[in-house]
Amino acid sequence: MRRNTLFAGGALALAVALTASACGTVDTGGGGGADGECSLNIGVMGALSGANASIVLPSVNAAKMALAEYEAEDPECAVKLVEFDTEGDPAKAPGVATKMVQDESYIGVIGGAFSGETKATQPIFADGSLTMISQSATATELTVDEPSETFHRVVGHDLVQGTAIANYVAEVLEAEKVFVVDDQTAYGAPLGEKIREVLGDKVTESDKTQEKQTDFAATIGKIESAKPDAIVYAGYAAEAGPFLKQIRDAGLETPFIGGDGLYGVDFPKAAGDASEGAIVTCPCVPSEGTFAEDYEEMFGEAAGAYAGEGYDAMSIFLEGIKAGHTTREDMETYVDGYTGEGLTKNYSFDENGDVAAENVIVWSYKVEDGALVPDQEIEQ
Amino acid sequence: MDFSNLIEGLGGYTIDGLTKGSIYALVALGYTLVYGVLRLINFAHGEVFMVGAWTVLGVYTALGADSGVGVPLAIGITLLAGLVAATATAGTALVIERVAYKPLRDKNAPRLIVLITAIGCSMVLMELFGHAFKVWFPGAQFGRAAVNIPTIIPTQEAFSIGGVGVSNIDLIVIVAGVAMMIVLDQFVNKSRLGRGVRAVAQDPDTASLMGVNKDRIIVLVFVIGGVAAGLAALLHTLKYDFAKFDMGFLIGMKAFTAAVLGGIGNLRGALVGGLLLGICEVYSSAVISSNWEDVTAFVILVVVLMFRPTGILGESLGKARA
Amino acid sequence: MTDNTKTLETVREWTLGLPGKISAGPRWVRVLLLVVGLAFCVYLPFLDVLPFAYIRTDLGEGGSDWASTLFTITLYMIIAAGLNVVIGWAGLLDLGYVGFYAVGAYSLALFGSPNSPVTQAIAAQFGLPTGWAMAFAACVPLALCLALISGVALGTPTLRLRGDYLAIVTMGFGEIIRIVMRNSSWTNGASGITKVPEPPAPDKDFFSTMLPERWYWLALAVLVLVIWLLRRLENSRVGRSWLAIREDEDAAAVMGVNGFKFKLWAFAIGAALGAIAGLLFATKQASVEPNLFQLNLSFLFVAMVVIGGSGNIWGALFGAFLITYLPERFREFEAWRPLAFGLALVVIMVLRPQGLFPNRRRARELEDRKHEAEEAAADA
Repeated sequence: MRRNTLFAGGALALAVALTASACGTVDTGGGGGADGECSLNIGVMGALSGANASIVLPSVNAAKMALAEYEAEDPECAVKLVEFDTEGDPAKAPGVATKMVQDESYIGVIGGAFSGETKATQPIFADGSLTMISQSATATELTVDEPSETFHRVVGHDLVQGTAIANYVAEVLEAEKVFVVDDQTAYGAPLGEKIREVLGDKVTESDKTQEKQTDFAATIGKIESAKPDAIVYAGYAAEAGPFLKQIRDAGLETPFIGGDGLYGVDFPKAAGDASEGAIVTCPCVPSEGTFAEDYEEMFGEAAGAYAGEGYDAMSIFLEGIKAGHTTREDMETYVDGYTGEGLTKNYSFDENGDVAAENVIVWSYKVEDGALVPDQEIEQ
Repeated sequence: MDFSNLIEGLGGYTIDGLTKGSIYALVALGYTLVYGVLRLINFAHGEVFMVGAWTVLGVYTALGADSGVGVPLAIGITLLAGLVAATATAGTALVIERVAYKPLRDKNAPRLIVLITAIGCSMVLMELFGHAFKVWFPGAQFGRAAVNIPTIIPTQEAFSIGGVGVSNIDLIVIVAGVAMMIVLDQFVNKSRLGRGVRAVAQDPDTASLMGVNKDRIIVLVFVIGGVAAGLAALLHTLKYDFAKFDMGFLIGMKAFTAAVLGGIGNLRGALVGGLLLGICEVYSSAVISSNWEDVTAFVILVVVLMFRPTGILGESLGKARA
Repeated sequence: MTDNTKTLETVREWTLGLPGKISAGPRWVRVLLLVVGLAFCVYLPFLDVLPFAYIRTDLGEGGSDWASTLFTITLYMIIAAGLNVVIGWAGLLDLGYVGFYAVGAYSLALFGSPNSPVTQAIAAQFGLPTGWAMAFAACVPLALCLALISGVALGTPTLRLRGDYLAIVTMGFGEIIRIVMRNSSWTNGASGITKVPEPPAPDKDFFSTMLPERWYWLALAVLVLVIWLLRRLENSRVGRSWLAIREDEDAAAVMGVNGFKFKLWAFAIGAALGAIAGLLFATKQASVEPNLFQLNLSFLFVAMVVIGGSGNIWGALFGAFLITYLPERFREFEAWRPLAFGLALVVIMVLRPQGLFPNRRRARELEDRKHEAEEAAADA
């Protein structure tokens, strides 16, 4: 009879959980301006849980900060920031995107945080004319090859960064022989391609690795025989850590440069002592002054990757709401024509939704004592 | 395709492949022993390895060890870390066996069911280290990101053969890995308990009629597999210096492939399969690039299985001879 | 206790014994029940009557769209039904099912999207206008053919291997498909392919992202068709041969059943169903990338079939429902869901090794084995 008890128990638990978890939230419709009151939602979509959450959460936190500042001004419109977890999985993103589009109270979306989920949801948000401002999706094709009507981003795309890395290697490091490695992901492959293209003849050899790789012996063997002046890595922190460590173990002291995939606390943490002196570039301006301090006070940790961008994206929406743009159409027009000074750069969007090229600033950071220290602004 | 690169650096690549392969072989041992005795793919074994890596990190942190410690102390700490890690992994392997496998074995459930509980266990372990611990122990060094483990034995060249330098770490990993495999092989083939293992692998019913306690043998098999995984984790730490919540998955897959390649259920097969897989992967990465190494590994597996359907050395643990 | 047990027994009779009772009942009852059941499924996206509406996934904050979730559930049900042919009926452990799913999705994307390098190459070769792509209707048989070919190509060398070897080789196949798609320039590498075509429809906006319930109905129609076909197959000569092979391959061979041939059939049919699901997924998603076809999806698919009760198509469907629905419904628990999922797998399987809704014949086999085990234990 244990089987029956199991069944009954399971069914009961399920029923209780179903009702409990949705208690008081049965209202599925939007409350946007229902009783003449102004109440709007802004969604934020990205990997809030799972392996990559640490790249996304700082920007969400920063958006919350922007909202708190807005609320302190006692505004007319009540605005709510609603978090949607996609686990960074493009297959899970359309469901939440559709939900936002169908609920009239949503007036804008911050996201997607990664390029894959952004690509999967662009058509949905475009059909629902809901404005997107991405804080960290940098894939070039999102705007350049296949622009979407409602998509904007407050971050420079991969080609801009690829050029910046190449310039840094060629001009600051004055390297003549460069070894370029990319990790064959949707982020690393095009970035590596762009760096190779700009550097041209200076690239003596290049190699490809893959995600979750731990042993880089073969790549290091190739580096040893190529004897480059600089190693460029287009990929993420999880692999860059062991890679750099093994490079140093092999007795190579060649300068190591990576893109914004290494930006954040994860890279020095993964590479340990080996990361000292490594260069990380990022199309993000160092967080300075009150923002960094306020952030640390509010969340108990230093402002991480794309925190400033998250803050800026939210601020653009909030300024729009303050200016009385409370419908999706108004908001879209407002954001399209937006110009203003943000935390990380000056904003104005071109017809594809990119930040105008002259406003994109790429900075280099150097690892010192296990932390990323701003180094210099890279000439475009 | 760049064969000249491979030929130029052949010696170095071979050493790298052997290092990689020794770790695969030690992990593969756990798959092979459990499979030989229970005919069961222990899919959670990769996560047992991961627990080992975190334990090594824990021991280092507890002792405050970093690159500054002297050579004698470093050796002592390493041995201690290996001991603790082996205990932890053996314990984890045993808990998995008691919680997820034994109840099903008692019901004589099909092996497919056990595969699912194994996958379940593997997810639970991964999530525990990836997320839950961070919530329960705020400030703990667990999390989703890769965590660096301090290097306490700095890498330096130990000796060189014909212009090919062999680093001290590579030497330790290869020698320790192969020695461990030989010791275990001798244990299974020579000792009384080992005879019990072989007897149960060959014919469980007859073995129990002959007075072999099957349950004890199964416990022993999981413990040996766990110890090997713990030592593999220590060697992995010496070579690669990091721990990550999902590191076990891929290495588990590779080790399982290595076990099948050599002949699953065969201890020497695990060694041969592991070393061969390690070398093939490094060679293929040298000739093409690392993003094709998994394809190479699986293609080699299929080709070998087509010509030798039970792996290179055949599969039976019961028939393995001294 | 007894009363309680009796009620439970009745409930169980009614739920588990229902398919049996229905098939034993008069024809008009069967037809009526079928029509009512189908009508309910069609109505599901609009379900808003309170106690029942708690099953919706979009009630809580940050929930996902209900109709989109229903689409995903139905999609995974098709997959579970297909994998059930391979695992449940023919008894072959396939750990690379995601490979066929990917083949289906990519056949549509490669040949149906104007953005894919394949269509562009074909267009350039034959002087077709730019933007040329194959029609959706032509891609369906193509996807089926490619899946059948890959199923047979994988099955022919490997089906002679014993069970566990088959598991690792199929797993390798799934990985190879993903890695080749990631590395090859013919599939656009890790960035994947956008502009996957929509199914042919009366007007252009028929299958719009704004109307997810239509996608759900499409998937539902495919699922009903698949179930109908599989039910016929189960009771055919092929179905009986699978049963014979699964129970005792040697005995089956003596009786003149060619094990290899029927195994290959099971593999090919499973592959085709996986490809259909992949095709549906790609057309709804509108873009594909290799990351969508990770190895752990294969494990998830196997778990669906086994949890539900392998061998019973209804069990497999229910398993797919549970595994897809519960994580979506309980999004509030964010990062704890994978942990709960792993625990649930262990607990359910330990308590109910035959699955939640086992095939009756399989349950009896298991019962026998349990008795054997007990007797053996008593003897010892």
